Amino acid sequence: MDELLTNLLQYTIDGTLRGMLYAVIALAFIIIYRAGRILNFAQGEVVIFGGYIIWTFFSWKIFPFWIALAFSFALAVFLGLLIERIIFRPLIGQPIWAIVMVTIGLMILLQGITLVIWGGSERPFPVVFPRAPVKLGKLTFTGVIFWGGMISIFIIFVLSWLFEKTRWGLKLTAVAEDHQVAQSMGISVRKSIAIAWVFGCVLSSFSAIVFLNGQTLTVGASMIGLQALPVVLLAGLESIWGAPLAGIMVGVGESLAAAYLDPHTGGAMSEAFPYIIMLVSLLIRPQGLFGWKIIERI
Amino acid sequence: MALLPCGIHFESYRKDMAYLHTRLQWVFLIAFLALLFGLPFLVSVRFISIINIMTMICIAVVGLQITIGYAGQTNLGQSAFMGMGAFVTGSLAINFQLPFWVTIPAGGVSAAIFGSIFGIPALRIKGFYLAITTIAAQIMFPLFIIHMPDRVFGGSLGLKMEPARLWGIVFNTDRSLYYLIMTTGVIMIFFSFNLVRSRVGRAFIAVRDNDLAAEIMGINVFYYKALGFFIGALYAGVAGGLWAYYIRYIGADQFTLYYSVWFVGMVIVGGLGSILGAILGTIFIRSIQEIISYLGPFLVKFLPHVAGEEVWFAGMNILLGGVIILFLILDPRGLYHRWVLLKTSYRIWPFPYV
Repeated sequence: MDELLTNLLQYTIDGTLRGMLYAVIALAFIIIYRAGRILNFAQGEVVIFGGYIIWTFFSWKIFPFWIALAFSFALAVFLGLLIERIIFRPLIGQPIWAIVMVTIGLMILLQGITLVIWGGSERPFPVVFPRAPVKLGKLTFTGVIFWGGMISIFIIFVLSWLFEKTRWGLKLTAVAEDHQVAQSMGISVRKSIAIAWVFGCVLSSFSAIVFLNGQTLTVGASMIGLQALPVVLLAGLESIWGAPLAGIMVGVGESLAAAYLDPHTGGAMSEAFPYIIMLVSLLIRPQGLFGWKIIERI
Repeated sequence: MALLPCGIHFESYRKDMAYLHTRLQWVFLIAFLALLFGLPFLVSVRFISIINIMTMICIAVVGLQITIGYAGQTNLGQSAFMGMGAFVTGSLAINFQLPFWVTIPAGGVSAAIFGSIFGIPALRIKGFYLAITTIAAQIMFPLFIIHMPDRVFGGSLGLKMEPARLWGIVFNTDRSLYYLIMTTGVIMIFFSFNLVRSRVGRAFIAVRDNDLAAEIMGINVFYYKALGFFIGALYAGVAGGLWAYYIRYIGADQFTLYYSVWFVGMVIVGGLGSILGAILGTIFIRSIQEIISYLGPFLVKFLPHVAGEEVWFAGMNILLGGVIILFLILDPRGLYHRWVLLKTSYRIWPFPYV
């Protein structure tokens, strides 16, 4: 009995940690939506692109640690501005499906560009966070998840303050509700989408560090973007605080499914589980757990 | 709608809705069909195999056009629906030795049922969310196939098929399969052209343009959204069944999200809301794909980092991503719109403006 309980606790903690990882990636996703009304299917690819940029600066070995990191983030800002200027500025005012499709195009395009620039071979990702495990009382966390989790909780605090309390953030929120109305109230949709992408790319680079710290970097790692999608939808596209909560729910669910259901289904359940939670929750609450309820009029 | 040829006018709604207005158009259509069926005698086998693949994909893309372009429901799972058709067709042919004219329709119907299951959420969720639930179909599909008992769908090994047979004819070469695929393709496309101008097609368009308004006008929105998925997936399933008999080895990795995105790309390039657009988009993108596979060995020399297979993959990705983005930014109405402009400017020649 005691062993069962200990196992259960262990699975729950493992799931929580994995959920934090999903949440970090979902956060970048939600910010891009929250400031520009863009559902970014290319999230995984942007993360990997940011990861490759970081790898490049570290592998040159001519810059000290902090400078290399700063350069990587500067380049991420530039990437965000570039994406906005080339792809999204001409599409302001286009219907939703056009914006969904263009991010799918961006996803495929970034995969190709990453392959052409860096090739398909595996790269060792630099160790940015200390790897030593952190102990809090009886619980043990891996270093990267602990530091990554701490920083992302800080980021969540800052962002939710920005978006909900400041005038500037409310302007971005207005754009997420409706481009046309925001524009007619004198809010620059263009600027807001640029901000969305800069935030999104910087957060993606950060999540690349959390995700890949000290591991191998390949093009295929961009699958994490699709794995984080159920978390985003479960949280609701608009909710900054929803990301960690939904992330933990999905992570714990996945880990428990892997432990208790997989032996009976041959390993299928844990992979399908996040999507099943997502489908069921969307049928009950179409806007996700913490998303906005939109009232439609003709 | 393009301008009509000079002197054509209609006295009944029936004539107005016709696709072919003049005798010359009938002549061209019949000549075109005759050309299609004579093609295996005129061109090389390699070209025929390109056309075979193009036609199968075209069927799936026309189905996707009905779901996205007419019923207005975002669908990123078309390739999974196609896979469902392929696996059910294969499984019926192997386990029960049924002939292809039973297995392919059965594959189509089972794909359609699979598709409408994922279409049901469309009643409550829209746009972004719907796109992601269809991705869920795409991700759950290989898990479902691999974890079913091995004798049903072949597990992780996939299914190996016997060639299709009919009255002593064995469909095992590109030339003989061409007739099977092209006949099915022509029937499916004929059906789709007529579907979209029927009551169902008009209901689809009403739901697409504004589903709330459509509901107020008395259209059963739930039924038509599910039907949009059903018909789109039916097309995918038939394409998948043909695919099973063409490739004769089917595995879950042939039906990934990547191909679904290609299909959506073809619909966008062709132009949303037009069957002809779906056909044009398929031909356009498949041709460029063939050219890139042909040029692959030359590209390797210019791209030092990339080796072997990857150059093809990278080239395809940049092409597909670039084409989707460029068409959405520069010409969201797609190739179909270009075709209409071309036809109109031909008809009003020598006047310069369309």
